[in-house]
Amino acid sequence: MNFDAKPFLLFSNFDNGLLHWLRVFGGFAGVIFAATVLISLGIYGVSGPVAVMGRVRQGLHDFLNLSPKRIWAIAWLTIIEAVRRKALLVFVVFAFLMMFAGWFLDSDLRADLQVKNAVSFALTTVSWLTIPVLLLLSCWGIPEDIRVRSLHTVVTKPVRRNEIVMGRILGFSTVAAGIVAMMGVVGYVWVLRQVPNNASLICRVPVYGTLEFLDNEGNISEKGINTGDIWEFRSYIEGGTKASAVYKFPIDTPADQIKLESRFEAFRTHKGRIGQSLLVRYVLVNPTKELRVPLDSFEIQEFNLNEQFIDRKISFYDEGNKDKRTVDLFDDIVDQNSLTIAVQCLDSGQYLGMSRPDFFIRLPDRSFAVGYFKAVFGIFLLTVFVISIGVTSSTFVKGPIATLLTFSVLLIGQGFREFMIKLITGVQKGGGPIESWYRLVTHMNDTLELPDNIGVKIMQGIDNVMLGGLWLMQHLIPDLSSFVMSPYVANGFDVPWSVAMLRSLAVTIGYLVPCLLVGYYSLTLRELEAK
Amino acid sequence: METQSVIQIKNLTKIYRDFWGRKKVRALNSLSLDVKKGEVFGLLGPNGSGKTTTMKLLLGLLFPTEGEISVLGKPASDVSKNERIGYLPEESYLYRFLNAEETLDFYGRLFDMSAQQRKERSNQLIELVGLQNARKRQLKEYSKGMTRRIGLAQALINDPDLILLDEPTSGLDPLGSRDMKDLIVKLKNEGKTVVMCSHLLADVQDVCDRIAILYAGELKELGRVEDLLKEQHETELLTSKLSPEAVADVEAVLAKHNAKLLRHGHPTNSLEDLFLKTVQKSQERPGQRYVPTATEKT
Repeated sequence: MNFDAKPFLLFSNFDNGLLHWLRVFGGFAGVIFAATVLISLGIYGVSGPVAVMGRVRQGLHDFLNLSPKRIWAIAWLTIIEAVRRKALLVFVVFAFLMMFAGWFLDSDLRADLQVKNAVSFALTTVSWLTIPVLLLLSCWGIPEDIRVRSLHTVVTKPVRRNEIVMGRILGFSTVAAGIVAMMGVVGYVWVLRQVPNNASLICRVPVYGTLEFLDNEGNISEKGINTGDIWEFRSYIEGGTKASAVYKFPIDTPADQIKLESRFEAFRTHKGRIGQSLLVRYVLVNPTKELRVPLDSFEIQEFNLNEQFIDRKISFYDEGNKDKRTVDLFDDIVDQNSLTIAVQCLDSGQYLGMSRPDFFIRLPDRSFAVGYFKAVFGIFLLTVFVISIGVTSSTFVKGPIATLLTFSVLLIGQGFREFMIKLITGVQKGGGPIESWYRLVTHMNDTLELPDNIGVKIMQGIDNVMLGGLWLMQHLIPDLSSFVMSPYVANGFDVPWSVAMLRSLAVTIGYLVPCLLVGYYSLTLRELEAK
Repeated sequence: METQSVIQIKNLTKIYRDFWGRKKVRALNSLSLDVKKGEVFGLLGPNGSGKTTTMKLLLGLLFPTEGEISVLGKPASDVSKNERIGYLPEESYLYRFLNAEETLDFYGRLFDMSAQQRKERSNQLIELVGLQNARKRQLKEYSKGMTRRIGLAQALINDPDLILLDEPTSGLDPLGSRDMKDLIVKLKNEGKTVVMCSHLLADVQDVCDRIAILYAGELKELGRVEDLLKEQHETELLTSKLSPEAVADVEAVLAKHNAKLLRHGHPTNSLEDLFLKTVQKSQERPGQRYVPTATEKT
């Protein structure tokens, strides 16, 4: 795969999961509470903070006395509204796209690439059609109810404001579930019909390990050699030297045979042997017993997958004892539930490039439908996230602004978060917005030093304030890349639980809780009738 | 024994402010009044006098700038008070994509009513407001009068103790208006408290026990309708038809008692009565038409 998704450790690594959520959520809630108490004290005297505490108590009471019946009533209303306002017409667009998409997908491509395109297309279409529709519905529902005052007939019944927010989110999520499920099934049937005769739909279950490099002298380093590629995803080892890439795989259950799969890239400094690819060798290592078991070398298939099988009993020529020897993979090589494999390139002067996900143990495959519908579930989770943000923002701003706000969160979370972090950390050259603008106008590229004067200092000061705002934003806007699970399925992989599913679920729930609080207080503290 | 207060308003002031918090309008100024259990109370006043603002403050749709409101013994901001309240807004702001049955079912759910209760109550109310033939039609297809009727039905779904009606007869034809007034009286007879505000003074006069007249956000009059309307300095007599001689004799008698006849003539019915009679006759004899007399033809 051309991306490396790190596992999401919710419970075992508190620093990255729950604790971070508690810090950010608790921090923001604490700051808002303290500010409210201080402001109310300044305006109303002692009665101000008393009233604030009263609201907090009221909030607790309202959250502890939720009525599932009322929540479902509002959800039901939302579903009927979406259906009668013809939101389901999105199916017509979907059906239209599915009917004619086959004409435009390239049938001259390699079979596996055709499958990849078909899967990507089906899942992307589901996602691109569902999310905008639900985004608009969720952002316009409450403001429209307030505008035409339908909400007055609801809030004058014994309905708590959090029930309205929850009901709306639940209702739109149910609509989303229906749309995504139906489109997912139609998309699945369509994908099955698009598979060429010489290809099949597969769902590999990989076990990834950790990766570290040994340089030409055999010393440990975090990265290998950079061969000049701007994309630093893969690192290279030099052939014919002590350099190697050391993978450590977690392995629990003994088996008679394990299957290894890899996709390495070659970087050549000379033509090499005509008609032959690079020679590669795996060496199984037990660091505790200082045992090294070299396997037979093989030629790699560039731009394609290499499959190797390792039997439990391995015979090899022991260089130390100058004798043939047989070892047991699990008894002699696996050390503390970890299998270490060093990858070496045997062609001197040539380089072999790899990244962490390029080499893995392949467990028995799952049904393609499993991976596919996990990706469909990912689209649903993203839609629920969008709905939560949309409904919440629509409790304090009008429809167009709520739409813009939600769309921005979605856009930044999916595409621009990395850029935002680069800006904050200073990795992105050229300074903040004002400095960038100044450099553009004065034709100064980002390597040139700015003059040392008061104007530049003021400019950089303003930039620092803006970057501070960005720092705050990066804590508020999540990384939504984990929701996009189609690359796994399109590349023939199962969607991993810890990397994608758990992360997406955690983000969705993590944002749902503050959304409910913000939505509740926003609807409670505003005068619904105010002009 | 003093009757229990259902609504208590003390020194209620409402100031609308602009985005920057500057005062824009003082909609209510130090309003104080009590509404007793079981009475029909009317809020009167010209446009902008603060009637609807008062109603919305009672419902918690607006927050008071100053003063206190107690509704059914609870603060206006307490959601639980709504369990015993029915509210008919000025316009029927209902969900136009629902039909009558769905509308009542939805509002019934908001009161945690069971499916059986909702069904029974919906049928009862649809019949009460006369929408049996339109129960499956979406509200967007309803006339204004029909929308008012279903609005009233949703206000009564929970069999409330206190009913707040904002312009209840607006948009209704005289028949509908009469039905509405009859219903208000019926609700009163059942021991319910009704607070209504209306521009149609005749309607208020017909059904209200007490009224409050607001002007520019201030209370100008408060009391029982008959007390406020009674002319203490005049006496009204109604007799069978008198000849001119008899009228002259009456005048002479009055003069003997230092009084004079201010006006005499034939009393007239209200236009509403005439209209209702005509409609009733038409229902009884559908074929009968108006035929102009010979004088009218010329």
